[in-house]
Amino acid sequence: MRVEERLYTLRYKRDEKPHLEIKDQANCAKCYDTYKSPCITVCPANVYSFTEGKIVISYENCLECGACKIVCPFNNIIWRYPRYGLGISLRYG
Amino acid sequence: MKFDAVVIGAGPAGSASAYTMAKAGYKVLMIEKGSEPGAKNVSGAMIREAVISKVFETKDLPFERIVKRVRLIFKTRENETEISVKPKDKLYTIARLKFDKWLAQKAEGAGAVLITKTTVTGIEGQKVITERGEIEAGKIVIAEGANALLSMSLGLRRELRSEETVLGIKEVYASTRDEVAKRFGLQGDEGESWRIITDYPLPSAGFIYTYKDAVAIGIGAKVDEITQRDIRPFELLDTFKEPYSELIKGFSLREYSAKIIPENGFPSFKPCEGSIYVVGDALGLVDPLTFDGIGPAVISGHLAGKAESCNAYSNSLYEASEILKVMRSRPLTRELLKGDNLSLYIHLVTDFSLSWAEGDLSKLKYYKNSLGTILKHLLLGLEVVQ
Ligand SMILES: Cc1cc2nc3c(=O)[nH]c(=O)nc-3n(C[C@H](O)[C@H](O)[C@H](O)COP(=O)(O)OP(=O)(O)OC[C@H]3O[C@@H](n4cnc5c(N)ncnc54)[C@H](O)[C@@H]3O)c2cc1C
Ligand code: SF4
Ligand code: SF4
Repeated sequence: MRVEERLYTLRYKRDEKPHLEIKDQANCAKCYDTYKSPCITVCPANVYSFTEGKIVISYENCLECGACKIVCPFNNIIWRYPRYGLGISLRYG
Repeated sequence: MKFDAVVIGAGPAGSASAYTMAKAGYKVLMIEKGSEPGAKNVSGAMIREAVISKVFETKDLPFERIVKRVRLIFKTRENETEISVKPKDKLYTIARLKFDKWLAQKAEGAGAVLITKTTVTGIEGQKVITERGEIEAGKIVIAEGANALLSMSLGLRRELRSEETVLGIKEVYASTRDEVAKRFGLQGDEGESWRIITDYPLPSAGFIYTYKDAVAIGIGAKVDEITQRDIRPFELLDTFKEPYSELIKGFSLREYSAKIIPENGFPSFKPCEGSIYVVGDALGLVDPLTFDGIGPAVISGHLAGKAESCNAYSNSLYEASEILKVMRSRPLTRELLKGDNLSLYIHLVTDFSLSWAEGDLSKLKYYKNSLGTILKHLLLGLEVVQ
């Protein structure tokens, strides 16, 4: 089953303000070449992708698991929680 | 606005803390970022009634099923061995949304005020800052879970390293109550829990829990293993799930979720400073072997709620059996997961069973060289059960 099909099962309310941001894209370019961008590998929701020399963040799919920040070799992710109860809402949890 | 105590996070640790303080007559505010308590939280999950009932009256606890059998499965790529255990303790499976709501209601029932849909963005002195305004607090309890942004911003702890963090991922497949009962051979409220330890495709711990009308299936693996071996978390889950596809055939996927699990913490993370207290996952209080974290969360929340001082809280953590168990399990788990130790055991258990079944124990001579390692682990293991 594709990740997208799994994400369809979830209730999200999008915070207009991204809760995840990259500090410095130059580090990501370096990281992609040297470390194969571990944020991409570890993310269970395909939030990160490397396109045209940059990391793109589909933050609205984030499961708020907390893994990406821990694997980033450059401490390059600004990680906040979505505001006002937005983001993911689980039914079972 | 001013409260005697502000609790950040309405998970098991937060609700236990708010409940304890409200019952003692304090004016308590609990702030939760999710749309409701539990909406952002992930567990398997199985809990021990005897631990929860140390703090809460559990007569109306919203369990899914009562666990009558726990199946422990050791799996290599080629083989597997199963040990089936009838638990003596009362074990429940639970779903977090219902369970966390119930806990938060207990706190509200005791007089605590709960506000949801509000994220705490910082703490300055005795001021708790949210996106909706600031609150003055006599005592602050941080029950923010494993991704402990506030505790870290205050310097009470550091970020987890990838080698001491497990990523747990989980799916819930729903059907009817009868169908779940039929597939697992259950009656009435009876339930089953499976714990699976495997070294393929990487060292990981899987679980299958029966809910009323659904099955939860998930797996946890160390974050550094995932990145080093370049295996995506959902690929790991799919590989794990494959042999169990008959169990959930025809069921529909209702939820996909993930969360980090800390494998380090107190006492190397500070439990408090002045009148700021850290509890539960934020303090790293999860048993790394079993992922048992809800019990320690409830106990630590309760102890922080009761404590008159930082010192008293710190001491009480050292005296609580649930917390000691977590601390003692860590060295063993670290040893077991080191290098090829986990593989050694899984192979030992499966080979032992196989050669026993086939009547040829001479196959086990290959393990002679590992005797030293095994003995060392046995001794560490004795520490845990002490
Ligand atoms: C896959 C998996 C399986 C598990 N299985 C089990 C199991 O079977 N049994 C078991 O006992 N344990 C299990 N655990 C561990 C268990 O989930 C945790 O130990 C437990 O949730 C810890 O409770 P807590 O209250 O400390 O943190 P959490 O449950 O994480 O609660 C933290 C709360 O704080 C809120 N919050 C965080 N930051 C803020 C903020 N800034 N402002 C406002 N609110 C905030 C969150 O939204 C959340 O509600 C499992 C974990 C995982 C990931
Ligand atoms: S791991 Fe960090 S540095 Fe590397 S690509 Fe991802 S965000 Fe950029
Ligand atoms: S928190 Fe988890 S789901 Fe969200 S972007 Fe990071 S790794 Fe992906």
